[in-house]
Amino acid sequence: MSEASKDQYYVPHLAKWPIVGSVGLTVTVLGAINLLNSENPGTPWMLYLGFAIILLMMFGWFGEVIKESEDNLYNTQVDTSFRMGMIWFIFSEVMFFGAFFGALFYARTFSVPWLGGEGTGLSTNEVLWNGYEGVWPTNGPGDLGGRFELIDPYHLPLINTLLLLASSVTITIAHHALRANNRSQTIIWLIATVILGAVFLFYQAEEYIEAYRDLNLTLSSGIYGSTFFMLTGFHGMHVTLGAIMITIITIRVIRGHFRPESHFGFEAVAWYWHFVDVVWLGLFIFVYIL
Amino acid sequence: MKIVIILMLLFILFSLGSAMFYLVKGQGKSQNTVRFLTVRVVLSVLLFLFIILAAHMGWIETQQPAFLRP
Repeated sequence: MSEASKDQYYVPHLAKWPIVGSVGLTVTVLGAINLLNSENPGTPWMLYLGFAIILLMMFGWFGEVIKESEDNLYNTQVDTSFRMGMIWFIFSEVMFFGAFFGALFYARTFSVPWLGGEGTGLSTNEVLWNGYEGVWPTNGPGDLGGRFELIDPYHLPLINTLLLLASSVTITIAHHALRANNRSQTIIWLIATVILGAVFLFYQAEEYIEAYRDLNLTLSSGIYGSTFFMLTGFHGMHVTLGAIMITIITIRVIRGHFRPESHFGFEAVAWYWHFVDVVWLGLFIFVYIL
Repeated sequence: MKIVIILMLLFILFSLGSAMFYLVKGQGKSQNTVRFLTVRVVLSVLLFLFIILAAHMGWIETQQPAFLRP
């Protein structure tokens, strides 16, 4: 295909990656449902297969877009559409985390105190849940999952906050280095960011093991367990995605794809990493501490 | 002291949002995106230090399940 002109919209060829992504997501969700609902799940092969298909889609799709970009097939209109795509992607992300943070705040501020007899919940408490003290954190009046203890926020979560904050500092240094056309510094600080993200994920896994093994804090621990694992788990998946994207961006910097005045791919991924870090700050404050 | 934490979080969200605005609007020539992201990181580090200080001084209490409360 020849180089696109400024006013002509570049129409991509028929792409197979959207359907591959849809199949990957479906298999992943089915695998997750299977894992969470079976008595003796064993190795969750279906979940792993789903992740593998999604990874395949990411590398395939990213690869095609990068190739098209490097072949100069994209003009200013496509550039604008990438920026619009970024807005909608982030909008969906904000809504996603908004829903889970919303569930946490609603349970803490309204439904749990109502079950404990506050506001208009006096008769609910007396008739249905007499003796239940509606104080957060709680697994609810049914004592779902049994007594649990909380993760000490000033141990692993504090280390993880430091790691993720440090990774935001390193990616910001890389960002400044790219703008200053210092490629070697950009690469070094991007690699540091990926390593810090990977160590964060390692400690997050440690924390989950500790929660399940020592604290009896599980996904079944009522409203606290659900909100805790949904928020921190999906955040962990976002860190994983961010780390994969930064790895790809690092390879692109090594290959000399970006210029100080033209690096939207880098900037969008850097912004995403900052977003994931801010979500973690929210988690550290509202899930672990306050 | 909680209000300080909430206010700082709001400032962080504002700088992150401003960086997004310039990311989408700009053509890569403007320094605004990287500037706002740098502000965001500095504010986050300050917030982190404040939380450590507040916990150390006993200004904020960490949550505990009802049966573990004194």
